[in-house]
Amino acid sequence: MITINEITIVRDGREIIYDYSEQIPAGSITAIVGPNGSGKSTLLAAIAGDIAPVKGTITIDDLHPILTSPAQLAQIRAVGIQNQSYTLGFTVQQIIELAGPAQDVMQALELTTLAGRQVTTLSGGEAQRVSIATAIAQKTPVLLLDEPLAAQDIGSRKRIIQLLQKLAEGGVTVVVVAHSEEADLTWADKVIKQFL
Amino acid sequence: MKKLAPAIALLLASFIAVYVGAVQIDNFWAALLSPGSNEILWQIRIPRVVAGLIVGASLALAGLMAQGACNNALAEPSILGTTAGASLGTVLAVLTGLVQVGSVGAIVCGALGALVATSLTFKLANLRSQLSSFALIIVGIAVSAIFTAIVGLLSAMVTRADARSISFWNFGSLALITRENLMGITITAIIGGAIAWKISPSLDRLSLGDATAFHLGEDVPRVRFLALVALSLLAGGAVSTVGSIAFIGLAAPHIARFIYGPTHRKLILHTAIIGALLVVVADTLSRTLAQPGELPIGLVTSLIGAPVLIALVSVKNNVWKTQ
Repeated sequence: MITINEITIVRDGREIIYDYSEQIPAGSITAIVGPNGSGKSTLLAAIAGDIAPVKGTITIDDLHPILTSPAQLAQIRAVGIQNQSYTLGFTVQQIIELAGPAQDVMQALELTTLAGRQVTTLSGGEAQRVSIATAIAQKTPVLLLDEPLAAQDIGSRKRIIQLLQKLAEGGVTVVVVAHSEEADLTWADKVIKQFL
Repeated sequence: MKKLAPAIALLLASFIAVYVGAVQIDNFWAALLSPGSNEILWQIRIPRVVAGLIVGASLALAGLMAQGACNNALAEPSILGTTAGASLGTVLAVLTGLVQVGSVGAIVCGALGALVATSLTFKLANLRSQLSSFALIIVGIAVSAIFTAIVGLLSAMVTRADARSISFWNFGSLALITRENLMGITITAIIGGAIAWKISPSLDRLSLGDATAFHLGEDVPRVRFLALVALSLLAGGAVSTVGSIAFIGLAAPHIARFIYGPTHRKLILHTAIIGALLVVVADTLSRTLAQPGELPIGLVTSLIGAPVLIALVSVKNNVWKTQ
């Protein structure tokens, strides 16, 4: 269970989130929906422990992400960021293996044919899938994904959603940031629309 | 076999470097097999080749640490201010009469100067709490320019005999190396190399950007600090002993990446071998091409390393993606 308790987040002097509370149930998929700049990615970053609220608390079970060491936090939550860039020419498999075993997740996301490709040569959609695969390979109880469906074709979207549903059934808490133009959100167990 | 080529070339180059020189050594094999029997061989030539191996490996690893810590293909000790900081630390210590060029004391002062300058670069580049590769390079060039100018001013102001050795050392040369000098750079190379080895898997993750490295469990400031310490020890030890030798820190890691791929743990050994090879070959050429004089070694390292790098980039250019 992720508990967000009356948080306020300020970035660059601007109040992005004000006095916001929410509970995200364990073992489910929660979609956070909203237009660009509404604060949904900021909320995800705060849950991930990237930024600290100026007021209020966030806990993953009993753990405060912002007060937890990076190594311990990496055992609890994994994050797939939007627009992951790659500078060094690792292969797709090598990148995923930086997080954990790669074979299963590569198969599930149909990345096996790209296993030996250098990540510096991937298209936007392929790079995004590698980023999602890397987060999933970390095998954490909480999975946070920022717009994982944005650059995907219909087939890839379906595979990603199926995989997320399978993970949630297995007890993983999945939080996905989705754009407000996302028409079909039936795959999510809970939709947070406060950011609309 | 292709992947063993640099190691084989290093063995061959080291042997040739010991064999050739201004003086032909009589009964070379007999002298080589009985330590101490020939003064030129054992007091001058072998220490010089060993120093070339250690300095080349150190500068190359320093470059690997700089590029890994900054996640930038252009980073190297001279661009981040590390080399200039090591020079200033050494020059200050020598001119105040505390130490002599090449002594352990000079190496400590050089490493401290390198650490201060590199820390200053990171600190100033991070003033707005957004440490970008671009800011690091720009600030590093500025810090380097300031430290280099101070070294120039100090060198111009002194009239003592030290000034001559400082000026000679500042252009980069292995000519002043003695067996006694080897101890200091061996220590800095071993400690710096051990830190580099320890943090090398973390540098793989750092290449994905600070945010993703943190998500994967890396304490990014700690990794960067350790890389900075390794960089300062490696570059500081080398520069304070033999002066600034251009291009090794930039070229050797790139050449190693082109041959062996981007995994840092693998690159530690291979980068060190390629750096050592470049310096040993360059030093052999610098002392034999213009006998009885010597060419500045930095000039030769650039002439050898640059074409190799250009050739590799032109056939295989997707090892490092620039934005």
